[in-house]
Amino acid sequence: MGDILEFFEQMGFMNMTLQQGIMLLLSFFLLFLAIKKQYEPLLLLPIAFGMLLTNLPGAGMYHSELWTAFLDANSPAYHSYGTIMREGGLLDILYIGVKAGVYPCLIFMGVGAMTDFGPLIANPKSLLLGAAAQLGIFLTFLAANSMGFTEAQAGSIGIIGGADGPTSIFLTSKLAPELLGPIAIAAYSYMALVPVIQPPIMRALTTKKERAIKMSQLRPVSKTEKIIFPIAITTIVALILPDAAPLIGCLMLGNLAKECGVVDRLSKTMQNELMNIVVIFLGLTVGATATASSFLDWSTIKIMVMGVVAFGCGTAGGILLAKLMNLFSKEKINPLIGSAGVSAVPMAARVSQQVGQEENPSNFLLMHAMGPNVAGVIGSAVAAGILLTMLG
Amino acid sequence: MMTPLVINWSHVWMVTGLGFCMVILLLVVLIFILKLLGAVVSNAVKAPKAAEPKAISAPAAQTAPASVKASADDDLAAIAMALHLYFNGVHDVEPTEIHIKRVERSGWNSKLYGMNNLHR
Repeated sequence: MGDILEFFEQMGFMNMTLQQGIMLLLSFFLLFLAIKKQYEPLLLLPIAFGMLLTNLPGAGMYHSELWTAFLDANSPAYHSYGTIMREGGLLDILYIGVKAGVYPCLIFMGVGAMTDFGPLIANPKSLLLGAAAQLGIFLTFLAANSMGFTEAQAGSIGIIGGADGPTSIFLTSKLAPELLGPIAIAAYSYMALVPVIQPPIMRALTTKKERAIKMSQLRPVSKTEKIIFPIAITTIVALILPDAAPLIGCLMLGNLAKECGVVDRLSKTMQNELMNIVVIFLGLTVGATATASSFLDWSTIKIMVMGVVAFGCGTAGGILLAKLMNLFSKEKINPLIGSAGVSAVPMAARVSQQVGQEENPSNFLLMHAMGPNVAGVIGSAVAAGILLTMLG
Repeated sequence: MMTPLVINWSHVWMVTGLGFCMVILLLVVLIFILKLLGAVVSNAVKAPKAAEPKAISAPAAQTAPASVKASADDDLAAIAMALHLYFNGVHDVEPTEIHIKRVERSGWNSKLYGMNNLHR
């Protein structure tokens, strides 16, 4: 009889708290969105399942207390990966890749191997639009400070405005690991919602005439330029801003493997197998950080609200700079491509194309928008490096 | 999660202003480098082309551009025709629905007739 009672006492049902129940329901909802609605399913599905696993009482797959001790300078387990390996569960061990900043860099390698920087090389001015779209990061940093977050936390919240999941995770894991769950979920949610968030801002800030501007065709880019580009960018950015080197270096390594044409096997591995494996690990472990105690908090709601503000400001920054550039340049730029400066690749560029075609069906902005779009990836990685240097 | 703290606003403003300016500045540097790269590479590509006419004999130099021009004209004509057909609705209107025709079973298409026990 005693054994039966003990068995019942050990059941997860008996130990579940109300908060854990809410988190389980939330994970079911996210799984529904991923499977039924297909909102970024490649990321949302592992994130939601990680959230489910971590909130199962008694399963012991992820221990937030171990990671709290890991960050506590007074604890014997301070910065001790050995303790994590010895006492942690499966998700704790996989989480080491996030903590050490490995997964975001590997994902950037895959992103680089899948990205064509040709439109950016053909029109280098796109980099300015990519830079202007980082305005959201810094304005949100300011706002988050005024709402009571520490500077490091505010920097991590601001980076949501870069619309770049791996960069958000990379910076947050360094500056404010306690906010990793809410920030990662906010970043990926808003990336999925780009087609909903951006168009109203784009229409509000531009006139019909501006949206109908046709841009001249981009010049062809030679293979030599495409090969020199990643080497030059890595060298220069890493020399100016060493903290951005891991992200930019991996992005450009992937791109060089793609463009040089002599390591097709490596390039394909980066694009497919490596990318997919890391996405599974990253999604699961980021979802695992969304424990009831850390997620069901007012600060999570504040982060979600500020994430939208960051995203909106970034979109507006790119559009307004494109309008400003039109005042000074002979060749007109369609301001809609400025919104693609937030780096959600290629979703933001597609949105520019769609909104442009609503005004003028014969206008093809996609390739023009890809320039600021990939510039946004570089810009957000640079912004993360700057925040890490100043706040880390 | 949040800790009450005194905000060092001068530092916050400094990070905001300086950070954003540094992003802009770094990317402006990259613009110049990309322009320089474009100029250097295009010059390197143009240089051997300038030497080409000397190597080609006079009759070849006269005939080659004519054939190239003819094929370019053909391409332009084909593109113009395709655009004309598309934008003026001259092209056949395709039904955008796919119908799967129900195939009646007979001895000729029945799967049962194609199955045997030989391959294991």
